[in-house]
Amino acid sequence: MNVNNSITLSPAGALALAGGLSLALAQYFIWIYAPVEATMGLVQKIFYLHLPVAWWGLICFFIVFCASIGFLLRRSPGMDQLAVSAAEIGLLYSTLALATGSLWARVSWNTWWTWDPRLSTALIMWFIYAGYLVLRQSIENRRKMRMVAAVLGVVAFLNVPLVFLSARMWRSIHPAVFAAEEGGLEPEMLITVIVCVAALGLLTAGLLLFRFRQRNMQDRVRDLYIQ
Amino acid sequence: MRIKALDLMAKDLRLVFSDGAGIVQPVLLGLILVFVFSLSTPVGEEVSAQAAAAIFWLATSFAVILVFNTLYSLEGANQARIGLLLAPIPVQYIWIGKALSGLVLLLAAQLFFLPAIVVFLGQDEMHSWPAALGSIMLVNWGLVAVGSLLGAMSQGHSARDSLLSVVVFPLLVPVLLAGISMGAYFFGDGSGEDLGGWLGLVLAFNALFTGAALLLFPFIYGEY
Repeated sequence: MNVNNSITLSPAGALALAGGLSLALAQYFIWIYAPVEATMGLVQKIFYLHLPVAWWGLICFFIVFCASIGFLLRRSPGMDQLAVSAAEIGLLYSTLALATGSLWARVSWNTWWTWDPRLSTALIMWFIYAGYLVLRQSIENRRKMRMVAAVLGVVAFLNVPLVFLSARMWRSIHPAVFAAEEGGLEPEMLITVIVCVAALGLLTAGLLLFRFRQRNMQDRVRDLYIQ
Repeated sequence: MRIKALDLMAKDLRLVFSDGAGIVQPVLLGLILVFVFSLSTPVGEEVSAQAAAAIFWLATSFAVILVFNTLYSLEGANQARIGLLLAPIPVQYIWIGKALSGLVLLLAAQLFFLPAIVVFLGQDEMHSWPAALGSIMLVNWGLVAVGSLLGAMSQGHSARDSLLSVVVFPLLVPVLLAGISMGAYFFGDGSGEDLGGWLGLVLAFNALFTGAALLLFPFIYGEY
């Protein structure tokens, strides 16, 4: 009897494992390497989670945008599955960004929530992509659902530059993270941010591939059942 | 071809005004909203110009949902939608026709909302009526561009009003913010707002979503 004892890792698994290990490494940078911020103290460490999830959330929404265009051009179900997988992860990250931002705001600005345009933007994006997922659940005709979702995936992302623009026009109390002249980050903090962003990027790629494969299998099982 | 879009608009408006329900419902809902929000301030206190503008645009947003659900459900009966799709015109003309019909109905509803804002919220001074009306028209165009694009989306769905609200409201936020800021400027003393900046934002929004709608509408309004 031949038994294959070798362990094989799928690309998704390899990415997720690399992401997990890098996130563990990032803890060293967050808690030991990066200095404690003078005014906010330990609470400032939230930033090292808040910024990566906010950025990768936005990148996930950009993937929704690209995959939606791809679906409209090629009508490939795979593109639709990629779009919905990215939307789910983006929504999860946006939720985390809003929650961690709210904790930050409580300490830094003495309020859980303020109508700062950038916060509002994050919340608006959250609402749009939550609506995107609700819409997909609500339309029974799968062909129509995919088409409508792809259109929404495109127009939803078109909103982002306008919201950023409105953020500049409205009063804003958001900190300038990478300001060139003042208010920027210490070099150790900057390196820590880069490590955290990279680590979460690996995890995001792994999660995205996993979810994409899951959705593919779900569709195949559904099609088998229908046949 | 341009006339065809106007023909579609005329057809829609005739159908909507023939029984009146399609316009009465958004007007009533908007008036109720304005009245209810007038209760949010203690007796004797004035509602700020910004709050009044926000209530005006909130009422208008709900009107957008109701108006476009009405307009797109006109072809729901007897598969008339297929007839519209078979018409020898580009599908985009349907979007234009619906958008124009929506704009007319929205303006009709706002004719009731504006006096209600004056009566219930005490905003009896307007800084430059022509400019204020111009800004309302610009914001309205943004609203109907999105409303006409996505209004077709929820057709045939049992909870189409709530579904459309969930999807459309967040998309409208930039143009609504601009509308509120410009409304605060015109309801107030005409100071304190970057009017030019907000106008630019509305124009950008309108251009972006008009272009996107022309490209994307055929994907939504196909035969499924």
